[in-house]
Amino acid sequence: MVTLTATAARRGGARPGRLGRRLRIGAGIGATLLFLFPVLWMVSTSLKLPRDIFTTPPRWVSSVTLDNYTSYLTQADIGPRMANTVIVAAGSGLLSLVAGAMAGYALARLPIRGAGLIGGLILASRGVPPIALAVPMFLVARRFDLIDQHITLILAYCTFLIPYVMWLMRSFFLALPRELEESAMLDGASRFGAFFRIIVPCSLPGLISTLIFSVILAWEELLFALILTNRNAATIPVAIAGMAADTEQGAMWGPLTAVGTLTVVPVVVFALFVQKWLIKGLAEGATKG
Amino acid sequence: MSTTTETGAVGNTTPTAPAGPPTGRPAALRRWRDLGSRWLFLAPALAILVAVLAYPLFYTVRISFSELDLATFTPARNVGWLNYRTVLEDPGFLNSVKVTGVYLALALPLQMVLGFGIAFLLNVDWRGRGVLRALFLIPMVVVPVVAGGVWKMLLDPMWGFVNYVLGLVGVGPVDWLADPTLAMVSLVLIDTWRWTPFVVLIASAGLMSLPTDVFEAARVDGAGWFATLRKVTLPLLAPVILAAFIVRWLGAVKMFDIALAATKGGPGQATDVVNLYIYEKAFRGLEFGTASSMATLVLALTMLLTFLFLRLNRFLEKRW
Repeated sequence: MVTLTATAARRGGARPGRLGRRLRIGAGIGATLLFLFPVLWMVSTSLKLPRDIFTTPPRWVSSVTLDNYTSYLTQADIGPRMANTVIVAAGSGLLSLVAGAMAGYALARLPIRGAGLIGGLILASRGVPPIALAVPMFLVARRFDLIDQHITLILAYCTFLIPYVMWLMRSFFLALPRELEESAMLDGASRFGAFFRIIVPCSLPGLISTLIFSVILAWEELLFALILTNRNAATIPVAIAGMAADTEQGAMWGPLTAVGTLTVVPVVVFALFVQKWLIKGLAEGATKG
Repeated sequence: MSTTTETGAVGNTTPTAPAGPPTGRPAALRRWRDLGSRWLFLAPALAILVAVLAYPLFYTVRISFSELDLATFTPARNVGWLNYRTVLEDPGFLNSVKVTGVYLALALPLQMVLGFGIAFLLNVDWRGRGVLRALFLIPMVVVPVVAGGVWKMLLDPMWGFVNYVLGLVGVGPVDWLADPTLAMVSLVLIDTWRWTPFVVLIASAGLMSLPTDVFEAARVDGAGWFATLRKVTLPLLAPVILAAFIVRWLGAVKMFDIALAATKGGPGQATDVVNLYIYEKAFRGLEFGTASSMATLVLALTMLLTFLFLRLNRFLEKRW
């Protein structure tokens, strides 16, 4: 009991007895299951035959089928749209990582007149609602015939990704010891040499977690994708928005959950794989942003 | 950052200066080249942001004062404040601002309380803690529009799982998305499901970083758990709570996907959040002028409130 209470105290919060501890663990598991349920239900529905989807009482999978995946995927351009989503998410993620990390480094470490002002503007830009950019983006893209092209969406996503990366990486670079690049530059390396050969390898965990979060943000974006694409560059969220609108009588539940599962599974695997970095990145982005 | 910033182009504290004092043309050249390389680090990001962020913002404001020529899709003539007057007399827009306010006022506090509460529950030191925390990541990475669609299915009055469970305890069936009040409740519920895990993660990190000796001292002084919570834990957590709130606020004011997928703003205009309303006005109604005026107003309001929250954050950080 002594060690137990000591542990509880060390972890902060009040110090419950053995019963309180059990209750908290039980409630924690319950809350986790409750939050996971919709995802599990989605996956299970995607594996059901139509007649099993519409039953009272609802049931978990009785006979597993991949019909929802195979039939819909082939007929509704899901493949190309998935490819578009990957291209746009990876492209905008990488572009903002390179541009944002360099800028974040400049703000954190390099003597630049007005760095404070630039930093403040970047922080402020995180508060800009995308709808305030939507109309001109559409008009300009239309005028220059850029509607429905990957590069347009990639650049549009940079509006929220670059400020995010800059801010996150700035706090990351601030925490690195100054000696790192100082010694490199005394050895004759240029600023770029010091950055790419010393700082970047040292910051790999931060860079990767930032990249992953950026890719996720781009992966799920809907508003810009709706207005800037028609068919060629349309992403998966656009397709899903159409299907969700079609579910009045539940006709599209099978395909909707199948496509939903396809979009969620890779991200979940990705997120679980790198969860330590992800949590760190999230926590820092929040507390220092 | 501040001290080095002031030295600016002189760069006397930078490590580029070689061991001896630099003299003559090579040193000057090096200094200029160094200044150039410093700005080159910023150049790509600034160039992209000016092109796709600053310019569109400026253009939105410009369109908001003009009438758009729908043949060429360019601002045709200046109409002064006309669009703004139209917007402020538009009951649909005023309703959407109110709806957004209600949604924010319900969803944000709920998510903060639930998030910190669950983080407290998950903070017991046992074998499964890491697993539970990892599982809590999952709702966060469900694409919002998928979340909206799947919840629409769960809330279905005929075959939805939620109504089945309610039926077991003798309630319902409830047509969640058809009643104005319940539709708002549903929207808040879905958003809370998707975003509470984010608050949980931030709060967990905050709880883990709390210093231990303070709690020990409180215990020695004979403080009960409520007094400890109110006098010790909450003040210590205040910066984390506010930081989590600000990040959630920045996300929540952009509410669009879930509303579009789950309710499409309905029934009537009960869940017609402002982003959805502006989107419909601009891209369905092709009223680009008034839509831009609304967007400008929303932008101004958002920036103002964000600024206030950030100031409050800094104030609290200094106080504690």
